[in-house]
Amino acid sequence: MSGGAENGTSVAHQPVPFAPPKHVRLKVEQASYAYSATDRSAPKFTLGPVSFEAQQRELVAILGPNASGKSTLLKLLAGLIKPLSGRVEVDGTEVSELELRTRAQQIALVSQESELLFPLRVWEYVLQGRYPYGKRLRFESDEDCLMAGNALAQVGADALRDRWMEQLSGGEKQRVILARALAQQPSLLLLDEPTQHLDIGGKVELLRRLRRLADENRYTVVVVTHELNLAAEFSDRIALLHKGKCLRIGEPADVYQQDVLEEVFEAPLEVEMRSSGRPRVILRGSH
Amino acid sequence: MRENILAPSNTRRQFIAIALTLACAVFACVVRDVRAAEAHSQQSATAPAPADPAAQTAANKRATKLVTDETGRRMAIPLNVQRVVSLAPNLTETIYALGLDGKLAGDTTYCDIPPAAKEKPHVGSTQDPSLEAIVALHPDLVLATTSINRAQTADALLKIGVPVYTSDPHTMAGVLGATAMMADLLGASEQGATLVAQLQKRLDALHAALQDRPMAHVLFVVWEDPLISIGQNTFIADALRWAGAESIIVASQNWPHVSMEEVVRLQPDYIVLTADHLAAETHEHVNNLHDRPTWRELRAVELGHVVMASDEFTRPSPGLVDAIEALAHELHPEAFGTSAAALAPNDAHRTVGAGPAPAGPVSTTANAPAFPQFASVQLRMEAPTCAR
Amino acid sequence: MRPLTPRRILAICGMLAAILFVVVVISLRVGAYPISMREIVITLYNGAVGNGDSSEFSQVIFGLRLPRIALGILVGAALSTSGAGFQALLRNPLADPYVLGVSSGAALGAMLSLIIAPHTVGAIQVAAFIGAAATIAAVYFLGRRGGQLDSATLLLAGIVAASFLSAIIIFLLTLVNGPGLRSMTFWLMGDLTAPPPTQNVVGWFGFLYFVFVVAAGAMYTTSSDLNLILTGEQEAGHLGVNVTRVKLVVYVAASVLTGLAVSVSGTIGYVGLLVPHVMRMLFGTDYRLLIPTSAIGGAIVIVLADTLGRTIVAPTELPVGAMTALAGAPFFIYLMRRRIR
Repeated sequence: MSGGAENGTSVAHQPVPFAPPKHVRLKVEQASYAYSATDRSAPKFTLGPVSFEAQQRELVAILGPNASGKSTLLKLLAGLIKPLSGRVEVDGTEVSELELRTRAQQIALVSQESELLFPLRVWEYVLQGRYPYGKRLRFESDEDCLMAGNALAQVGADALRDRWMEQLSGGEKQRVILARALAQQPSLLLLDEPTQHLDIGGKVELLRRLRRLADENRYTVVVVTHELNLAAEFSDRIALLHKGKCLRIGEPADVYQQDVLEEVFEAPLEVEMRSSGRPRVILRGSH
Repeated sequence: MRENILAPSNTRRQFIAIALTLACAVFACVVRDVRAAEAHSQQSATAPAPADPAAQTAANKRATKLVTDETGRRMAIPLNVQRVVSLAPNLTETIYALGLDGKLAGDTTYCDIPPAAKEKPHVGSTQDPSLEAIVALHPDLVLATTSINRAQTADALLKIGVPVYTSDPHTMAGVLGATAMMADLLGASEQGATLVAQLQKRLDALHAALQDRPMAHVLFVVWEDPLISIGQNTFIADALRWAGAESIIVASQNWPHVSMEEVVRLQPDYIVLTADHLAAETHEHVNNLHDRPTWRELRAVELGHVVMASDEFTRPSPGLVDAIEALAHELHPEAFGTSAAALAPNDAHRTVGAGPAPAGPVSTTANAPAFPQFASVQLRMEAPTCAR
Repeated sequence: MRPLTPRRILAICGMLAAILFVVVVISLRVGAYPISMREIVITLYNGAVGNGDSSEFSQVIFGLRLPRIALGILVGAALSTSGAGFQALLRNPLADPYVLGVSSGAALGAMLSLIIAPHTVGAIQVAAFIGAAATIAAVYFLGRRGGQLDSATLLLAGIVAASFLSAIIIFLLTLVNGPGLRSMTFWLMGDLTAPPPTQNVVGWFGFLYFVFVVAAGAMYTTSSDLNLILTGEQEAGHLGVNVTRVKLVVYVAASVLTGLAVSVSGTIGYVGLLVPHVMRMLFGTDYRLLIPTSAIGGAIVIVLADTLGRTIVAPTELPVGAMTALAGAPFFIYLMRRRIR
């Protein structure tokens, strides 16, 4: 299930194993970052050196409490900011040096939705995902329409094609936003807390869909989320961040250790192993 | 769910709706135009205008002379001006006073002195006349003045080849000079000279009567709220001087905003208001001043030294001399040996000379005779005004 | 899924251009000076071919009506395109060409030229454009945040600039003399009758249209980008849009269009705000179509408003700005009501 091409599980602060993997999509090597506000004030935030890799068909979840550096890491992966040290590579090239449109052809970032100013139909919205291909002022070709249609099919939103964006429910909108990202035909799919506004049914559905996208369509998916249990259920590996440091990266069962979780989240937690081999986190004392 | 208001719906229906709206607008336009053209052709049928523009063009190619007007613009004006359009009420009034209203092809909607002027074809307002309407009247010359017309109007007309003479009077001498010039341009130099001589004589008589009198210090009120008076460079200031008055406001702008405090400090001898010749409530208006807070503190108001000048005072036309005389009699009655009420009503306008087809009986109009108007205002006269 | 194609754009613009043509023909036909269609055609032909014709027909058509129509087309197109651009740049459906203070700067320039050189032909246009350009630069520098244009900051900077400049104008209005005051008031209401300041009328309009085409063309090249930016600036960036560059281009292009329009015709309101919205209601929000349709739509509206203004209560002429307000608002309400069910 997990596309583990690397040997063994990683231990906190250990660099990535050096056996050359076959299809490394995403390679993060000792990347770090600091927001330094002005010359006079101290750097506001740091993300300590982080290293990991991800293959196609892998779903990696990035977890951690607030202000642990999750968003910063995601921005590094998306190439929006340049790492202070180290490298972030997708398919062999350093992402922050890619030209904007080339980068958009390889990496799709699904961030918090913003308010649409003017009404738009779903298919128009999804077609916008084809922007990185072709000239700046462009008219969509048949191939573009095909790709957009595929993207809608991949998220199961075919029926929504002619609806107005603002008439969609939360879950439907999430799917359409995802479809637009998929229309970019990216290698790497990044999502920043996509389950925030969804109910439990929506959350599960989204994670299931992401899982299917990774398995069947060979995307590499990296999801920043707060959902401990959903991450454990659906992801191949989990990166646990705490105060700017990546404490653990590995399979859920290895990462979810009670003492580590309690220290990171500062809550009375307990880890249960389920028959499937995946852990479940519950509040302590709730038997 | 309610459809978003900005979303497009059935396109075809909208096209039809818009097309219909446009069609209606266009139709209204065309109908209006046809009606206006009919009305216009009726009006111009009375005027001796050549219907054939080609003939008009040929006629225009006749002898012209180069003239520089009072704003510095140079233009070629035909020696024989048959049709003239006036863009200001005072110019219309002057034309009638010269007896040349036969040549007046059109004026503005505001030209109502004398009342016969209202019957002439109109070209629009003084600020924004219809350039096409002016051209449609085939004028040989258009008259304008800086005191009420925009420079752009003259520029636009000159650009398409219509000569526009703009006068720019700042003194009484300037007003008379402009009158003479106008008469010259219209080929009536004799009438012009006669009229100007008459007016000058009256002014000289006034000057003689007043030369030993001290000038009355007055506040000339153009507008009350905000309080606007006149500047030193206006013809009104000069007219006041001819009437034996000096404006207490010294300003280089034409229409300075004045603060009430300044007026209280200067304490004018008289307050001169201008009547709207259409308004009948001048009497109450003057009495109202007694009730207004800062106004009633003024010595002039307490003493009843509030004078209503006819609105001719604000027009550089022959009627201005009438208004000056009237004001002079108000302010310095002793100089003329008469009291206000005894003076006989004057015609507000004097038609001069035996020019071709003078206009019909010029009567005084809604602009009621100047003196009875003053007489109706209650005044308590003081002894000869104090010199200050 | 029916994506926008260049053919569809041309078809819709062609239809609108046909409407514009009809409106122009009507506008040439009506007026206080009666000319029949036949005479119009003959005069136009003579003028185009170069037969010297100094008849009155020629004076009225080439000296009065055509310049007015040509100016109306230019101003309508420039204001509508600019309004569409600002609505996208500021992410605000209430934005119009004047919201960033460009018109106030132009008005101040015009005011100063009326005070300093009231009789110099062409001074107003030049001074107004200089005022507009200075305001564009000032608001740009005020509206930056972190090195790039930020919509909210830009809007605030523009409003502050507009207020400040208006205050100066009011102050100057009390100082200026009678003739200048009258001209200024007219200018502020919008005036298409100002004569071209140069001898070569065709050259003057050629220059104006050239500036328009360059500015509108520059904005058009960013229309795909604008579609994306309207769904969110960050998202657009993730899709590969160079948001900083696009905002700068749109800002300069839209401001130049506003400055151009205001310099030659004063401030005509409502067109820049309403026409883009009407076009959105009719044809959708895709900027690749919205920009050209707004331009042509704006031209139609101004020429129609001006024609009505000079014929309804002839010979009195109603200012174009009043006509656009009178006609525009009810029409917009009608369209709005049709939507709400």
